[in-house]
Amino acid sequence: MSDTSHPPILVVDDNPDNAHIIRDYLEARGFPITVAYNGDDALRAFEEVKPALVLLDVMMPGRDGWQVCREIKQHPTLGKSVRVVMVTALDDWVNKRQALQTGADDFVEKPFELSHLAATVERNVKLLAPNASIGTSAAASRR
Amino acid sequence: MSVDYHQLLRDSLTRLPTVAATIDSIRKAVQDRGEIVILYFNFDRYSKVEEVYGWEKLDSVLETTGEAMRAFLNKSPLASSKLMVAFPNDDDFVFFHVPQDDTPAATDAEITEITAGLKEAVSSEIERVHGEDIAALFDIFVGRAHVVYNPKLRMERQIYRGIREAANASKSLEHREQARKVSDLRDTLRNRGLYIEYHPIVITDSQKVFGYEALARGTMRSMRSPEVMFEIAAQSDLIWDLSRLCRDRAIEGMGKLLKDGELLFMNVDPADFADPSFDVNALHVKDPTRVVIEITERTAIKDYPKFRGRLKEFRDAGYRFAVDDAGSGYAGLGSIANLEPDFIKLDMSLINCIDQNFIKQNLVETMVRFANEHGAMVIAEGVERKEEFEMVKSLGVHLVQGFFVHKPSTSAVTYRPPIHPAPALADGAT
Repeated sequence: MSDTSHPPILVVDDNPDNAHIIRDYLEARGFPITVAYNGDDALRAFEEVKPALVLLDVMMPGRDGWQVCREIKQHPTLGKSVRVVMVTALDDWVNKRQALQTGADDFVEKPFELSHLAATVERNVKLLAPNASIGTSAAASRR
Repeated sequence: MSVDYHQLLRDSLTRLPTVAATIDSIRKAVQDRGEIVILYFNFDRYSKVEEVYGWEKLDSVLETTGEAMRAFLNKSPLASSKLMVAFPNDDDFVFFHVPQDDTPAATDAEITEITAGLKEAVSSEIERVHGEDIAALFDIFVGRAHVVYNPKLRMERQIYRGIREAANASKSLEHREQARKVSDLRDTLRNRGLYIEYHPIVITDSQKVFGYEALARGTMRSMRSPEVMFEIAAQSDLIWDLSRLCRDRAIEGMGKLLKDGELLFMNVDPADFADPSFDVNALHVKDPTRVVIEITERTAIKDYPKFRGRLKEFRDAGYRFAVDDAGSGYAGLGSIANLEPDFIKLDMSLINCIDQNFIKQNLVETMVRFANEHGAMVIAEGVERKEEFEMVKSLGVHLVQGFFVHKPSTSAVTYRPPIHPAPALADGAT
């Protein structure tokens, strides 16, 4: 990860139009972007690219965003260091609670303004700084 | 010393290999040496840690456990033998002890001794890193199985049978221990062997004491944790008796402890409302307006209308209510609104690392807005770090409780000035 203020991001959305809009917008802001269009591809890309941040659509056919998030967060070597932002049209207590259970760090409500998405990405990137890890410093140092 | 940590398939938290990853080297070792001792470490109540504090906390506790175990075993007599540690992916551990050629396998007596040492080492490390409350939940039961090489049997099966045998042995130890704890609880109830620690709840902005939550502690070592006491009481149908004793003790200390305007927060299980002796007139409280009854959201309330009727009796007498562990389930705000609480105590899992998680921040913000609209106050429980304190403060949380501001104690605390501008005032700050 050479540029710590612009770490690699994985965008996961089964709708290519949405995925490409997000990719183009974030690429223009300097982030290296990889796109996956379903859960299985997302998990493969996750291991290949080792992104610092994953933008994850919830409603996808097959393995949905919740499942993908859980698997990413439980990944034995990469799970601790990655931040996951859920992109969801559903906005209520139950969903947010569910997002927490799966290990997600943040969420963006659909429909969203691109500037809001960028702000969400930025605030999560800020927390990726080496000393910003949660209470388990030993875990952070092993990243 | 040749502790053999397999290179592949390590568990990310404990850095220990999984059983599947070690099975090959174990098979070779058994063939060479002819025998192996399997130890199964059953860590009791780790699931409780996750339930109460959230998965991040259990991850962190497992990490500490793995480190403490490695450190202890490297110093133990077993370290001279070939030793493999595996993690079967839940919260238990399996040890494979292959004795050296010239030494016999560890005996039961040696295992008992090592177990006692290990228990002490892990428990004190957990207490040092994660505090007394989590350490009090910790219990460990070690089962042993001795596998002797038999060429007629398939080796993997022998090993897995050995793991199962050791796991069963650890379970039967656990059951024996349970029986002993039930007897300890009966002694506690008979002798009123229980004291109260009062955990201050402070006003977020001023950090002045607003009230105290009464936390029951058994005087017997095995009964130190209220979670353990209540778990044993539930299994042995002694909940009402234990609750009565806890209430009496908490109220007894009220007069000495509370200064003007300060409140006593007292935990009451919804099941207690079915206890005929839990009655407005039976509680020896001089001024019910000084008492807040905390009801946990965790326990399902079966008969809502009846329950609300009982609440009303207490409310009419002047008692106030808090919903404890709010947000721990999926029920959302509707079920909280139903109880018309005066206070909403946020579940600790929402507070743990809230500075790092924007979803938690959003949920707490929602809860504060809801409370403001309904004339209730929000209490953030389990605030352990400065960052958590600053975050809940910025989200408008009215009251705070946690090691960062005060630890529980048997006496009242003196007023402490606000943290700003000097950040190093708290006892439990890490």
